[in-house]
Amino acid sequence: MYLPGWFIFLSPLIGAPVALGIGRKYRNLAGIIASIAVGGALIASIITFFYVDSGTVVSNSSKLYILTGNYAYNHYLWFLNIDAGIFIDRLAVVMALMVSFVSLMIHLFAIYYMKNDPNRHVYFAETSLFTAGMLGLVVASNLVLFFLFWELVGLCSYLLIGFWFFKPNATAAAKKAFIVTRVGDLLFLVGMAILYDSLVNFSGLGNNSPLSIPFLIQNAPAIASYIGRNTLGIIAVLFLAGAAGKSAQFPLHVWIPDAMEGPTTVSALIHAATMVTAGVYLVARVFNIFYAAAPFALYSVAILGAFTAVFAGIIGIFVNDIKRILAYSTISQIGYMLAAIGLGGLFGYGAVPLGMFHLVVHAVFKALLFMAAGAILITLMDLRDTREMGGLWRRMPMTITLLFIGSLALIAFPGTSGYFSKDTIISASWVYFTQYHTAASFLPWLFLATGALLTTLYTFRMFFRVAIGKPRSHLAEHAKDPSVFPLIPLFILAAGALLLGLIQVPFYKFITPNYEFPVVPIYIEAIPITLVAVGLIVTYLIYGTERWTRMEFSRNHIYRLAKNKFYLDTIFTNIIAERVIAPVSGTFARFEDRYNAAVDGLGKGTLTLGALFRRIQDGVVENYFVVLIVGISVVFIIMELAGLM
Amino acid sequence: MFILIIFILMILASIGSFAFNQKRRTFVVASTGIFLILTIAYSILRFSSGYSSGGFMSVENYGIATSIGISFSIGVSGLADALLILSASVIFISAFIGESHDYTPTIYSYILLAEVGLFGILISRDFLFFYIFWEVVLIPVYFMVAQYGGRNKDHVSLKFFVYTHIGSVFLLLSIFTVYAYHYTSTGVFTFQISALMQSKYIEQIPTYLRDFAIFGFLFAFLVKMPSFPVHSWLPDTYETSPYPGTVILAGGLSLMGGFGLFGILLPVYSALGTLTLQILVALGIISLLYFSFTALIQKNLKRMMAFASAGAMGFVTLSFGAGLLEGSAYDANLELAGGMFQIVAHGLIMAMVFTALYFIKKSTGKETTYGLGGIYREAPMLSTFLLAGLLASLGLPGLAGFIGEFSILVGSFSAIGWLIILVILAMIVTASYHIWAAQKSLYGPYNENLGKISDIPAHRFAILLGTFAGIFILGVVPNLIYGILVSYLGGII
Repeated sequence: MYLPGWFIFLSPLIGAPVALGIGRKYRNLAGIIASIAVGGALIASIITFFYVDSGTVVSNSSKLYILTGNYAYNHYLWFLNIDAGIFIDRLAVVMALMVSFVSLMIHLFAIYYMKNDPNRHVYFAETSLFTAGMLGLVVASNLVLFFLFWELVGLCSYLLIGFWFFKPNATAAAKKAFIVTRVGDLLFLVGMAILYDSLVNFSGLGNNSPLSIPFLIQNAPAIASYIGRNTLGIIAVLFLAGAAGKSAQFPLHVWIPDAMEGPTTVSALIHAATMVTAGVYLVARVFNIFYAAAPFALYSVAILGAFTAVFAGIIGIFVNDIKRILAYSTISQIGYMLAAIGLGGLFGYGAVPLGMFHLVVHAVFKALLFMAAGAILITLMDLRDTREMGGLWRRMPMTITLLFIGSLALIAFPGTSGYFSKDTIISASWVYFTQYHTAASFLPWLFLATGALLTTLYTFRMFFRVAIGKPRSHLAEHAKDPSVFPLIPLFILAAGALLLGLIQVPFYKFITPNYEFPVVPIYIEAIPITLVAVGLIVTYLIYGTERWTRMEFSRNHIYRLAKNKFYLDTIFTNIIAERVIAPVSGTFARFEDRYNAAVDGLGKGTLTLGALFRRIQDGVVENYFVVLIVGISVVFIIMELAGLM
Repeated sequence: MFILIIFILMILASIGSFAFNQKRRTFVVASTGIFLILTIAYSILRFSSGYSSGGFMSVENYGIATSIGISFSIGVSGLADALLILSASVIFISAFIGESHDYTPTIYSYILLAEVGLFGILISRDFLFFYIFWEVVLIPVYFMVAQYGGRNKDHVSLKFFVYTHIGSVFLLLSIFTVYAYHYTSTGVFTFQISALMQSKYIEQIPTYLRDFAIFGFLFAFLVKMPSFPVHSWLPDTYETSPYPGTVILAGGLSLMGGFGLFGILLPVYSALGTLTLQILVALGIISLLYFSFTALIQKNLKRMMAFASAGAMGFVTLSFGAGLLEGSAYDANLELAGGMFQIVAHGLIMAMVFTALYFIKKSTGKETTYGLGGIYREAPMLSTFLLAGLLASLGLPGLAGFIGEFSILVGSFSAIGWLIILVILAMIVTASYHIWAAQKSLYGPYNENLGKISDIPAHRFAILLGTFAGIFILGVVPNLIYGILVSYLGGII
């Protein structure tokens, strides 16, 4: 039993009730306890990192993921042939490090951010549990246990989005988040059901549980030939549906912009560390299943990711709420990660570190962006509309500088960490195209490169509106920086956002020893950078000045389409929920009432019949004889007809 | 012997309870508590080890009228043991939550009497006594509804009684059919379940008689479950019944249907025929869909949860049918054990949900979604417990409901194929209305019409926490009972 590995998720899991219990008495201790618990997870992750790193890795030429080096795998029987335990390899440890580190930074900032909330002990217990759920999912050894933590994450997000329970918007958003992700989760569950059912008679099963992750990883090709590549592809696509729900990919992304109603630190947690990355991690975790399945499995990952990257980017350009802009940017960036892993159809497991590195880098700068936004919202009394801000750079220089660094990383400005992680993905998608030379293989590159422009547009549209120009509201005029102390976690993250690019190659090589960098012609390499530059110039011209206040789009069709989020919310809420589900349910309920009434009527009828019989039993003996004779005759006739006599 | 002593004590206690008047609640709560502890102790002693081959423990046989085959014989299978714990818990909860200033002392005697009936059903290995106890449960529940019920109680209690009694009549006819044919073919009178309900014997019976017997059994069990389309007694009875009665209905009476399927009919699975099983699968799926959609627009939380309860039992029907249709033993084990686990999980979860609803009703006087609203502000603890119960009811992993639903869902694919999408649809709708109910009644702005309400006192907190702890422990360590359920299956299949 590898104890530090267990401690990774047990630490915050134990921390949650402790924070709640002690926090009931001493509110201020709750945040500190939760931070210590998450810090414990970070320390455990670091210890595990050195353990995993110390193993010697056997290099090989396979495009599948081969388990090699040191890894921790302890598992115990849970029920029937489902086991539970931990499985920590290089991928898991990287993820655990990222989650516990970013979550710790957010917890530290939240001590400041939530300092006046009367229920902060509940808040910290929930965030600690949230982190525990995510870490548990990262180290789980079996898909069923994975699913348990997956749902724990969903539950905590539900509780935290609705944390300000008195706000109707917040509870509605929480409900929406739960139900939309639940749709994905149940499809994921169907995928597991099919996989389990297909594998129970598999000869290579041995003593393994059919849903054990290491078993699936090691035997993916044999599984594929046993149950057929197309069936496995369907299973993989169902897994992808689960990932799309959690990771807010088209069309299940609709919950995440609304989820902004929760406290900003919760948004930071959801977007950076503990929730939306779970879907990407799932695809990376069972990458071998996707790779061994029919090619459409990984291609659908790539195309879904790339499409969402553009789709969310377009909406992001038309949103005014600062947190919602960041939310759409998350959807779009998660799209990049999935697209990167989807390129694994060509690169094999070498594509996973591409996505994972962007995941880690994104977590760092997105946490930074959200917390900087949180610092702004505190001083602006939760005024989230960027149109009402302006000129904040002069009034709160520290915070806005941090926001600036985060924005640069987000648009992949050369030199920042985002540049290293994202441009490599775009280059890899070009290599993908040059390999196949089909229209379908061109789409990922096209979408991802367009996404670079869109990212710049929505990010700096937000940034210029927030930071420069004149304050456009009373609140913005009086904005001021928080003290330096609570911003320390943000400075650490900002350093990460600037410098993480340095570890790009070691990171790739840590996950895939025989990694090869995608090499593309310089003019292709230059396209995304050019687009970023174009985007910067355009946004500066429009939003760096006051020009945008005089622009009027409301008659434009495309503007209206994007402004209404391509009517997806309308479709889900007004059409599917209100026009389909509700009437169907009404029909069922009406039928139920009628049916119930009919049964009652039958009962009443019987009673009436009983009254009739009572009248027959009038004490007149002759009548009894008549009934007796008729009855006996009927019995005889029946017996005669049935051939019994 | 041990279980027989518990059972005799139980009968004595239910008679003895009439001797108490002021203290009757104390007496009943104490005795049901003791029975719960004794049952758990019994399970640990008998089932924690040495039950790997299935079969029955504590088998005893006392001849009463051997010439016509009547004897009092008992025995506890793994399934019966799990359900014994469930019924002891549910009865204890029911006795505990009914506070003496709300009810006259008679209700507590009814509760004990219901426990006698449930235990009798579960430990009887003789059809005559099985049938007697089957009826014994009905009577106290009928009186609870008729005396303490809410709106329209006379009509509803009568309907409940007549409806379920029709089911019982079919049960009796079926029992007599197999009893009589046994005499015709072997010349021996016996009511022994183990002798009558075995495939070797059942398959000898001519088809039309056998079909009739199986139909009668299924009808009786499906009425109790309840399953579509024989569920009409359910929503009204649940809604009208006083809360302690609803807890018994949801946790106790539904287990009778489940026990009938898995305890009585499972040993003769080979005689059931593919068509019957397919009909059961269909009924299970229809129940799931029908009840979840019907629940979706209910405004009364109690009625909504009544449909939720019936929907969750749809999983049990589905698992019975699909599990026996499975090709591979692995799937069948997962499926059937999941179905039995679901009975236990469902009983506990519904007990918790109705308990929480009862406490909400007591603090606010309301049980409709529009009458409540935002009560989290005033009663955070109570609201959290209701939320926990709702989450358990929708099958959240980590809680007991998930283990059953997961096993059933995963196991059923090879039998029902892509019909699984319908099950998923029902689960999505189920999740939606649970969350919707929580959002409407617990969160959002506080409904100021409710005035000042207080959070739950310590003893109510304790019962909710205890029930939730049971649900949580079963969700995290399902093998506590999953193992014996699988052993029980191993002894049959």
